Amino acid sequence: MFPEPLPQERRFFDALSRDVWPAAERGLSLEGVGLTTHGLIELFESQLISRHLDLQARRLQARGEAFYTIGSAGHEGNAAVAMALRSTDPAFLHYRDAAFLIQRARQVPGQTPLWDLLLSFAASAEDPISGGRHKVLGSKTLHIPPQTSTIASHLPKAMGVAYSLGLWRRLEAEGEWPSDSVVLCSFGDASFNHSTAQGALNASGWTAYQGAPMPVVWLCEDNGIGISTPTPDGWVAASMAARPSMHYLTCDGLDLLDTWRATCEALRIARVRRQPVFLHMRCIRLFGHAGSDAQQAYLSPSRIKSDEDRDPLLVSAGHLRRLAGLSCSEIGQLYHHVRERVARVAEEAIRRPRLSTADEVMASIIPPSRLARILPWQGVSNVAPDTLARRLNQALERIMIRYPHVVMAGEDIGRKGGVYGVTQRLQSRFGPHRVIDTLLDEQSILGLGIGLAQSGLVPIVEIQFLAYLHNAEDQLRGEASTLSFFSNGQFTNPMVVRIAGLGYQKGFGGHFHNDNAIAVLRDIPGVMVACPSNGADAVGLLQEAVRLADEEQRVVVIIEPIARYHTRDLLGEGDGRWCFPDPGPDHRLPVGELGQWGEGTDLAILTYGNGVYLSRQAAIQLEAEGVALRIVDLRWLTGIDHEAVFQAVSRCKRVLIVDECRRTGSVSEELVTCLVERGMCSDRLARLTAEDSFIPLGRAATATLPSVDSILECALGLVGNAAMADKGMKTPGEIR
Amino acid sequence: MSADQDKTKERLLIICPGRGTYTSSELGCLTRYAGDADWLARFDEHRREQGLPPLSELDITHPWRQALHGRGEHAAPLIYACALADLLAIDQKRYEIVAVTGNSMGWYIALAAAGALEYQDAFRLISTTATLMQQQLRGGQALYPWVDDDWQPQPERRQSLLTLMESLHGSGGLELYLSIDLGGMLVFGGNEAGLAALLEQLPARDPFPLRLPQHAAFHTPLQAPIKTQAREAFDSTAFTAPRVPLVDGLGRVWTPWSADPQSLWDYTLGEQLVAPYNFTSAVRVGLREFAPDRVVVLGPGTTLGGATAQVLIQERWHDLTDKASFHDRQARDPVLLSMGFPEQRARLV
Repeated sequence: MFPEPLPQERRFFDALSRDVWPAAERGLSLEGVGLTTHGLIELFESQLISRHLDLQARRLQARGEAFYTIGSAGHEGNAAVAMALRSTDPAFLHYRDAAFLIQRARQVPGQTPLWDLLLSFAASAEDPISGGRHKVLGSKTLHIPPQTSTIASHLPKAMGVAYSLGLWRRLEAEGEWPSDSVVLCSFGDASFNHSTAQGALNASGWTAYQGAPMPVVWLCEDNGIGISTPTPDGWVAASMAARPSMHYLTCDGLDLLDTWRATCEALRIARVRRQPVFLHMRCIRLFGHAGSDAQQAYLSPSRIKSDEDRDPLLVSAGHLRRLAGLSCSEIGQLYHHVRERVARVAEEAIRRPRLSTADEVMASIIPPSRLARILPWQGVSNVAPDTLARRLNQALERIMIRYPHVVMAGEDIGRKGGVYGVTQRLQSRFGPHRVIDTLLDEQSILGLGIGLAQSGLVPIVEIQFLAYLHNAEDQLRGEASTLSFFSNGQFTNPMVVRIAGLGYQKGFGGHFHNDNAIAVLRDIPGVMVACPSNGADAVGLLQEAVRLADEEQRVVVIIEPIARYHTRDLLGEGDGRWCFPDPGPDHRLPVGELGQWGEGTDLAILTYGNGVYLSRQAAIQLEAEGVALRIVDLRWLTGIDHEAVFQAVSRCKRVLIVDECRRTGSVSEELVTCLVERGMCSDRLARLTAEDSFIPLGRAATATLPSVDSILECALGLVGNAAMADKGMKTPGEIR
Repeated sequence: MSADQDKTKERLLIICPGRGTYTSSELGCLTRYAGDADWLARFDEHRREQGLPPLSELDITHPWRQALHGRGEHAAPLIYACALADLLAIDQKRYEIVAVTGNSMGWYIALAAAGALEYQDAFRLISTTATLMQQQLRGGQALYPWVDDDWQPQPERRQSLLTLMESLHGSGGLELYLSIDLGGMLVFGGNEAGLAALLEQLPARDPFPLRLPQHAAFHTPLQAPIKTQAREAFDSTAFTAPRVPLVDGLGRVWTPWSADPQSLWDYTLGEQLVAPYNFTSAVRVGLREFAPDRVVVLGPGTTLGGATAQVLIQERWHDLTDKASFHDRQARDPVLLSMGFPEQRARLV
């Protein structure tokens, strides 16, 4: 027999030889649920292909030819879910949903799901979804954005896509998906418990509770166990059966007829009433969590046998015998036809090319560009100097006019106009559908943004305070930044994330409103981070960020220094020197364009954000001390053009890096490294950073941060050393 | 398809030829390969009853004439019979057919080859549609390559051809459609004015652009009246599920277990007649989803071999990258067997 049978197949062969098949718990008829005989057989074929792919993956892994064995065995009932949906309904799939993808592929002519999935098992560069970067279930043609194994992190964006469908209707346009689509999002009973899942479920209910459209079917594939930890009996039902504004339906995922029936009902609610449905599908997990998982270590033999006896393939075969009139011989022929076909195709698939170089791997981190959708500006710019907050507010208003597909979302950005007034009057001007007051859940805010972006909008989402980002950061790290990478640039979620952050608020907030930890944003491949120091630059950076999202499909984060939002003066009360005129609608500050104040060569201060403001204050005294200096503003904190930085400071005798973020992990480390790598002697360098501390409350709020005084002290120390060196004297460092 | 399948058998993807494959060099091949076959005698008998020359007579009527052998009601059943003779000659002890597909009219042959239609029913279907099309001869077809001389895909050229087609269609009564996606070539279907305008604009690449004589604008909306008549003339009762998987002109797989005969009929005398036939997709699906050891193009003739090889190259199948690597592979151990070549046919029978 080809290929050699695996032990996991014995149970099916046994049933086949004895013609004894488990019956479904509900005695449904094909006519009763509106399914045809041919449809039932087709579903069984999809289940069989999925099963044999699982088994073949194990055979191939043993040969070193495939690299992923987390299978779909026991979950194959979701083929019926796929059949009930339209092939254009966006589907965010659980990693055990191969049968769903296979079945959907049959609804679109010309698809090759068997080949495609084997390429993904083999990590072939020709894998049509990820290009060999990960074994993901996804397909552009099949409207299945790829999901990785990150636990439940795909639920928030599914909610976001569902929300976008109503939004596109409101905008009287159509995005990536037809506006009468239903979003399908599946996950397991273990990841159901993850806060990300709970947040998304809650957000969908919260939205629907207010009457807004939320056409989503949450498919919980409950196999009763998460790796080795059982899900308490009845837990999922008890959690979900009485949630407000959430329809709760159940089905037996071992029974194709019941799964089909329940999905049709779920779709009727979600598509017609545009309300969220939680479809609780009971299934089983066969053959362990993955190929390496020996489930006999934590499951009793009787439990394992019990599960094997309820194998959905056995139940389906029983349906075929009773309802479709297939003989055992025909079922056997079909089973062997599929297993041999899968094995044969596998031998071809593993011969296909694989990724080998870093360039090949990284080719899709940055998404492809697309046509700009900006409208010409016909308004008048306000040239009167004003604060950072006011400049941002006006720029946002202009962006909303010029980009009709830009949507803003965040806590308190609508009616209140933002905690700091940055979004004032925007909701009244553009409506609550384009300036969305969200619930208090950063995971949902970012997930909403990702979903809106995937649907073709350009979201500008706001995180109210930097510290609040951290409980939701995976939505950027695990989801938004990886979508292009794992889809070979086919799916994108371009957006702008505005985050109010950094320290120096006078007498307000303590750590959670003055957080200065941005390292988590700077090491994410593909994500761009900007930080303006003043209102004019903020306009240039924001306008460039929106262009980057709109045209280059990038994810851009702007850290807005809260303490500078309403700063008007630089040196003294009423001098108005930190108010800036509007640089205009076409002013953009691309990556690599450094800001510079002064031309002095005694000292260069390399800094950003509040550091620019403080350095400008220190500059007065430094100049009075005879120090000719320049201040270089980085503006962008990722993708730094170090050659440009080196050119900007290399002619200066000394270089002081002022970094308001922590000594450990801040951009200052990268700056020092790259300057030294370009030949700058470390004696010419110093850095002044925040301490590795959290920010305290009250008068000590700035005690751990760089200040004008500490900048002066460091600068004068550095310049003093330079003067001593010029005179051939030993510097303090050398004496020590 | 059996549990104790013989691993030593080679797996074949069968490709059934369409119109234009029975030419002067094929004269005599039908009687040579199937002269004494019962099924051919029945076909001939049926044609006599219809007042049409029997196929075995046509096959030996010299010289080959476009006005006779090339006419739809003669050419189509001749091609079918020749293909059937080749199919039945394949040694079942050494070869297993894993999937069947075809090009254009070859779809009807594929239905018979896969067992979805009895041979006689397929003969009736082919005769019916060919006669309807010949009677009305609505529009025509023209062929043009989008690969280079080495059969390397040139996607920009393909796109510019489609753009040209779209720009001509609809103006001044011109009708032009994509008729067949044929490996490295595009077959355009249209009315006379549309084809004339297209041919005028296409740069000469000997022998292209090639107008296909006696062909109607198959697989385009111009065939809508034929569709109506064909559905009336040929109902669905003859259709059954195939015995081996079938890949249709959209690249969709019909399996022996789940294929719905009614749907198969509906496609065959519906969308298949009036929408583009994607031969490229059909072969691609056949390769990727069934992983045959070899691809067999049934006779008559060998002209479909080029288009098939071009798909193999597009797929980089078995490391085929261009015309030269294909010919090199063919010389060593052919991946494509065209039964119109006697020496390649001999390997299979």
